[in-house]
Amino acid sequence: MKYLLTGGGTGGHVYPALAIANEIRQTRADAEFLYVGHRDRLDAWVVPEQGYRIRFVRARSFPRTRSLVPLLRFAISLAIGVIQGALILLRYRPQIIISTGGFVSAPVLFAHGLLVKVGLSRARVFIYEPNAYPGLLNQVTGRLAQRIGVAFEQAGRWFDAEKVAVVGYPVRRSFLNLDRQAAREKLGIDQVRKVVLAFGGSGGAKAINEAVLEALPLWREAGLVVIHVTGRYKGPDYDAVADTEAALAEMGIEGEGDWYRRLDYADEIADLIAVADLVICRSGAGTLTEMAVSGTPTLIVPLPTSAEDHQALNAREMERIGAAQVLYQEAFWDNACIHSGLDGEKLAQQVLALCADEERLQAMSAAAKTMPKTNSLELITAELDGLVAGQEPPPLRLESPPVKKSGLPTAPNALLRWVQARVKEVGGVEAMERGELAYLRYQADRLLTSEGWCEIPLGRRNVGIKLVAVLDYQERLPLLLHILTDRTPTGWRRRLCGGDFRHGGIIRRNVVEHGLRGLGATDAQTRAALLNALAADPYFEVRAWSARALGELFDVDGEIESTLFAALDDSSPEVIVQALSALGKISRNPDLLARLRRFYQHSNWQIRDQVVLVLIEFLQRGVLEPTQLERDLDQVLISMPYFKPEFPLGTHLRQLADLVRADQPLAASQR
Amino acid sequence: MIYYLGIYLQDAVEALSFLRLVDSIIFRALCGAITSLIFTILCGGRVILYFYGRGHRDMPRDYLNFEAVSNQAKTYGGGLIVAAILISVGLWCKLHSLFVLFCVGAIVWFAALGWIDDFLKVRYRSSDRGLSEKAKLALQVAFGMAFGTAYITQTLPAESAGLATQLYLPFFKNPVLDLSWGYVPFIAFTVTAISNSVNLADGIDGLAIVPTAFVMAVFGVFAYVSSHAEIAGFLIFPFMPGVGEVAIICSIVFGACLGFLWFNSYPANVIMGDTGSMALGGLLGTVAVLVKQEFLFLIVGGIFVGETLSVVIQEKIGIRWLGRRFFTRSPIHHHFQQRGLADTKIVIRFWIVAGILALCGLATLKIR
Repeated sequence: MKYLLTGGGTGGHVYPALAIANEIRQTRADAEFLYVGHRDRLDAWVVPEQGYRIRFVRARSFPRTRSLVPLLRFAISLAIGVIQGALILLRYRPQIIISTGGFVSAPVLFAHGLLVKVGLSRARVFIYEPNAYPGLLNQVTGRLAQRIGVAFEQAGRWFDAEKVAVVGYPVRRSFLNLDRQAAREKLGIDQVRKVVLAFGGSGGAKAINEAVLEALPLWREAGLVVIHVTGRYKGPDYDAVADTEAALAEMGIEGEGDWYRRLDYADEIADLIAVADLVICRSGAGTLTEMAVSGTPTLIVPLPTSAEDHQALNAREMERIGAAQVLYQEAFWDNACIHSGLDGEKLAQQVLALCADEERLQAMSAAAKTMPKTNSLELITAELDGLVAGQEPPPLRLESPPVKKSGLPTAPNALLRWVQARVKEVGGVEAMERGELAYLRYQADRLLTSEGWCEIPLGRRNVGIKLVAVLDYQERLPLLLHILTDRTPTGWRRRLCGGDFRHGGIIRRNVVEHGLRGLGATDAQTRAALLNALAADPYFEVRAWSARALGELFDVDGEIESTLFAALDDSSPEVIVQALSALGKISRNPDLLARLRRFYQHSNWQIRDQVVLVLIEFLQRGVLEPTQLERDLDQVLISMPYFKPEFPLGTHLRQLADLVRADQPLAASQR
Repeated sequence: MIYYLGIYLQDAVEALSFLRLVDSIIFRALCGAITSLIFTILCGGRVILYFYGRGHRDMPRDYLNFEAVSNQAKTYGGGLIVAAILISVGLWCKLHSLFVLFCVGAIVWFAALGWIDDFLKVRYRSSDRGLSEKAKLALQVAFGMAFGTAYITQTLPAESAGLATQLYLPFFKNPVLDLSWGYVPFIAFTVTAISNSVNLADGIDGLAIVPTAFVMAVFGVFAYVSSHAEIAGFLIFPFMPGVGEVAIICSIVFGACLGFLWFNSYPANVIMGDTGSMALGGLLGTVAVLVKQEFLFLIVGGIFVGETLSVVIQEKIGIRWLGRRFFTRSPIHHHFQQRGLADTKIVIRFWIVAGILALCGLATLKIR
């Protein structure tokens, strides 16, 4: 019996394939395998290590962009890959093709599809989908398959229900009986010291690696043993191995020490997990299933860019049953950009707290073991045997119409409304359960790090700023101030058309309008930033809202007053109106009157209206005496552009007159 | 209808030979304008009361901290304009002329589109719940493509063969370019752009209707010139027999616009809504194509062009791309409102500008 295995790119796709192959190898003596993978990915070294032949094809992940060049590159590499795949299929002539998804499997499956059309391939296809949300490729190739195994029932709705079977996640056999003592002896690690294992998934996780490096000095002091699997990620901006090595050299830490071991990649991750008291990891479905099977306490750092944010949902579920603690990635200001990272300090503290609490670790381990398990490998091999025998197993009956697990809407503005309603429902941020609050704040961070801010009607980053205020996320105040004060120019094309800074005008305005005002920030830095924005920001909405925020958040002092004074000469009426309003609220300076008098005949009625309101305010607060204004009343130009049911200027002027001539009978009768 | 009756009677009854008058384009244009004007004025009040009683109100949108000025005007004034135009066209035009059929097609298509939009907005009590922008655009372009194809294959009689796809520019005597089949997308673009620009300008009482009337008047003059062999020869215009019907339609629309202004002037009792603005815009675009003066619209319709530009600058360049606003609000008339200008002042200043632009447009009759 000839099997062709394909699928890869990340561990989440390769390991199920290997687990299935190992299982078949044990049960069927006549089995013959060929693995088709990608030359540069972990398939290339993991598969041969397990004793399988591997062939390589050209493949490239589908670019989720509309620009032409990446799409063309994708098309060309796919075409070449399909030809390679067809040659492999024709020479090897497999009877069963097992695909676990991932872009690497595309060429082989498409080649198979073409060969079937011309009658050259009779292989039967089994597709395995490990995620709750099927990858794009599996959605497309689902039609070529005779049978589809899914790990989660809800993934079934993307496929023809006749073909779907729920099989769970095939955990490698090595995870089923871990021996802590034996593994520690094998690796030469002391039996009593606490061991922390950090690994960011097969691709390597920049955020985890960097945070671990930051945390190392603290962990060393506490006497922990740290095993750090960096992964072999290599990209234009980050090289997991080289960058980590460089940082370690700078800190003077050796990669092979007695308390710290750095590995590029762990072939036998099961051994490492066996020795670990706590694992820091991502929350892909595969990883979590392995952790649950082995009963390992975890500190989970969900990948914020995962499809539909499923990693955070998985992590929340583990947290709920008490098997894990979740630490979310946060938004960091870095060189005029906002990027997502993990706070090393927080990571260090949480790990230390957990390691010091043996009872908690025991409880987490016990909770992890309560997770429901399926004998996934047996189910899959049964399915495969059915395929070989040509049986048509009964179709899957989806019990309920599949619903999303998440309660959170994905559209940013819908999310904002949802969070507002939720905060109201539980009675304010303080009353919110801490796990949920952390999760929602993490949503704010995700939106803040998103570059796609200009989505109409509401941009993502804009919504992030609003969420910060709604969730009273005071920790993000410095970030907001960075956005407001940053002066990195935007690209020249935008500047030519009237753009100014990298963080555009509307973003900065929202920082002031929603962020700072919502947080009620009254510290010195906010004050300085607002004063600077009012005096120097090139965008009128920012100046206007800064004036307003100054009036609302701060008590008067000389500097604020003089800056607001200066804003009265602004070219934009919006700014003047807001500056006037702020002065009316906080100023106690009677000299302002001379300045106000110059606005009495201003052509813009809104400014005149605001001046009258300031005068009323001054009289009520006793800044001015009624006698000072007696001759001013008939100076104000009363015309207004439209007559709504109310006539604000007239009403306000009458109020003023009443205050000025409070003792005169004429005014009283007019009222 | 009256045209056909006149033709029939002048032959059948000797004493009615004065009905030869119906052959005159000027006569029918005048009668058409008067008909539509009187129809709108007479029916207007009743229509307004009827719809107001049934609770049809316009749904304005709030922008920034600026509360929308809702004077509870009644939408569906557009239906009134469309009815007046259609009735008058039915009475006074040669209904078998392709020119007339194109115009009627444009009015009906765009009015229907606008009506659906209005209906959805009124129904959901929100001005964001109308037809989606994409759907609207697709339907407009669909009409433009169909009309363009029919126009270059059908319309003009044999003697002006090859003229249909020529592109004329104001200030130039001779066609500058033969676009051939490229003319079809050009027509689709013209019609779509013009109909949307009128829609955008329709924001304050009386703002859109008067410039529309001016533009119609100018295009009417151009249509008349092109339809008249001698005048066309004298002014060196392409002679297009049959385009005189377009002149009549322009005149009818002019009358309907005045009648509508009767009620729409500030403060308005009725507004035209999308039904009216789309129908008038679609018709304007069609007329501009039929008289072969598409680029003249850039001059005489300067108000509409400016409004559209302000929206493009604000929404597409400013908010979407740069992340900033250039005007406090767009279209530009809302910016002036926000800056403290009275509605009436804005409207009348726009009229003045539109009038001057219309005169400039007329000047291109001779300055070429």
